[in-house]
Amino acid sequence: MAHILDDYAVLSPLRYKNNWLKIAIVTFGLLAGVSSNSPLVPFLIAICMSFATLYFAKVPASFYFRILAAPAGFVIVSVVIIAFFFGEGAKLFSFDVFGLTLGVSKAGLDMALLVFARTLGGMSCLFFLSLTTPMIELFSVLKATKLPDSFLEIAMMMYRYIFVFLDVAVGVKYAQSVRLGYKDFKTSFRSMVMLGTNLFIRSWEQGEKIYVSMNARCYDGKLILLDDKRPVEMPELMLTLAYFALVVLTFYFTRTVSVL
Amino acid sequence: MVILETKHLSFSYPDGTLALDNISVVIEKGKKIAFVGRNGSGKSTLFLSMNGTHRPKKGEILFHGKPMKYDSKSLREIRKNIGIVFQNSDDQIFAPTIYQDVAFGPTNLGYSKDKVEDIVNKTLEYVGLTHLKDKPPHHLSGGQKKRVAIAGIVAMDPEVIILDEPLANLDPVGADEVMDLLNELNYFGKTIIISTHDVNLAYGWADYVFLMNEHKVISEGTPEAIFMHDDNLKAAYLRRPVTLEIYEEIKRRGLVKPQCCPRDIPDLVHSLRSQQLLWAKVPSEVKEGDYINLGILYGDYAPESGYEAANCKVLHVHEDGLAIVEMDRKPYRAGSIGIYDTEYYSKDELLDIIDRDEIECIGAMGKRSKILAEGDEIYLHITAGVVDRSILNSLAGQRCLILTNGGMVGHALERIKDYMQKSGINIPVTVVNPNQES
Ligand SMILES: Nc1ncnc2c1ncn2[C@@H]1O[C@H](COP(=O)(O)OP(=O)(O)O)[C@@H](O)[C@H]1O
Ligand SMILES: [Mg+2]
Repeated sequence: MAHILDDYAVLSPLRYKNNWLKIAIVTFGLLAGVSSNSPLVPFLIAICMSFATLYFAKVPASFYFRILAAPAGFVIVSVVIIAFFFGEGAKLFSFDVFGLTLGVSKAGLDMALLVFARTLGGMSCLFFLSLTTPMIELFSVLKATKLPDSFLEIAMMMYRYIFVFLDVAVGVKYAQSVRLGYKDFKTSFRSMVMLGTNLFIRSWEQGEKIYVSMNARCYDGKLILLDDKRPVEMPELMLTLAYFALVVLTFYFTRTVSVL
Repeated sequence: MVILETKHLSFSYPDGTLALDNISVVIEKGKKIAFVGRNGSGKSTLFLSMNGTHRPKKGEILFHGKPMKYDSKSLREIRKNIGIVFQNSDDQIFAPTIYQDVAFGPTNLGYSKDKVEDIVNKTLEYVGLTHLKDKPPHHLSGGQKKRVAIAGIVAMDPEVIILDEPLANLDPVGADEVMDLLNELNYFGKTIIISTHDVNLAYGWADYVFLMNEHKVISEGTPEAIFMHDDNLKAAYLRRPVTLEIYEEIKRRGLVKPQCCPRDIPDLVHSLRSQQLLWAKVPSEVKEGDYINLGILYGDYAPESGYEAANCKVLHVHEDGLAIVEMDRKPYRAGSIGIYDTEYYSKDELLDIIDRDEIECIGAMGKRSKILAEGDEIYLHITAGVVDRSILNSLAGQRCLILTNGGMVGHALERIKDYMQKSGINIPVTVVNPNQES
């Protein structure tokens, strides 16, 4: 079975904590991260959130750093480009390539660091949320918003059947590849198309089957949506407030400071 | 009492495929019914007609003697009372969590929130899945999903529960759990209808069997009547159940008593004829047909239990006080079966009982009891086919204890008493911790 973020979230020890608290923590982190002018604040957020994910949510470090590595890779490439092409003024260092002078200015470096820190902070916030809050829990959050119920119900069923079809897709793909369905570009393309068509037809049929089976249980247009009653506990609240205070203070003192 | 009946039912799919051809069946309340037929014989289609999903082209369906009507109000009533568990659990379990899926039916019946919650919690406890209620279905094994699907139906408290191929794709343990559950539901009065192409299952489990082939019911009757006749089976492209096959083979070799149809292994063992003939010195007044006692065997001569009494039937009296006798060994120390109701479980009490009664073989029936035993590291010798194996072991002189709870206690007692009645062998059986309050 394909292991995805949601599987970790379902099993997460933080799953049954108050959803709103988790969302508040993450939203705060994102907002503070993007509005800060100093890279220190988003760095601090990244460290705190990663710590929370690894220590409180018990996500295996190897897995966590692997999923963080993919976006981090992109960011590092863009950061290098930013560092070289942004910012005027005195270069901190420079060198010539084929007669072209490439250099990094202080402003460019500042900018690059800020972008890097913000992305890292943002990613760690989002990973914290998605590794501790499965979709199932988010449905009850969505319920509290004013979204129409039918929208939510469709979303719930889509969520359920994504996994059914994921299994089917993995199975079909495997069946194709053992019969050399992906041996070169042309066959790969054909196999992919067949896989797609197959999945489409299956989901169509699945729709009819679900309809029959739901009717067999007297479906009359109502699904039960859970609303959770999970009070925020004192230690969690204190910890969150301490974290907020730390970030706000850092934010305040680094307003005018720049790292270099 | 008849609960469900079809009269000359025919149905074709919109594309013209004839799926049911003039089907007339009568289903008695409280029975265990099996529809047996190979793939494509029309079982699923028949089931979907029985709960009003397919509207028959010809003929009608009667529920409690009243013809089924197809307006939405009547259909609701029918579907509340005839629950159907689909072959593929993924077709049925559509909600993102187990709890929500089981709550789906009761919610649709318009119960209040509190009542729904109450029903769902009870049902999940009943099928032994309480610990999984917040899990999404894709985190469950096949057997667990099947039990969730059954729970979703049981939560609506229908009179009839129809299960399409309930054991398809289940491993043996998962299958046993599902069958345990079905037996328990039946014991509490639900009519259970299953479809299957597993002749062994149908033969051992059902009270009444319908054989289907080519969209028709080709024969019906008790499992013995149906499966003893090769013609029936051949016409349905099915094989004979293994128990019967073995029985026939040893019967041809003259090793069993004729004219019984063993439905399970205890039956089969009981049908065995003792084959040890020997010469023995007998007192002169002994006649042919008498039983004599040759004493007690022990040690290497008594493989089944500590001591065995060697009782012999005299077949032929020879001159010189010699006779040919047929040895019939009986374990000297009678085995027994105790039933422990885990509803009132306490570890110390159970260990006391095991110690006191010198229990040699412990079996657990039902998820709850298995979880309790595993939790307290009580070794289980038997986890599947518990009642049958306990009977067999007690026949061989062992003292057995069955851990189970609720309705299964009565079910197990009944099953053992049934065996004693059929075989004429007495097995001491007791509930070792009877409910103190009552
Ligand atoms: N949706 C359908 N459309 C057309 N024909 C069908 C459909 N479902 C089943 N059939 C046909 O109806 C017959 C009975 O099928 P079914 O009831 O599924 O049999 P079983 O459950 O005994 O395997 C088969 O010949 C099958 O091909
Ligand atoms: Mg079928």
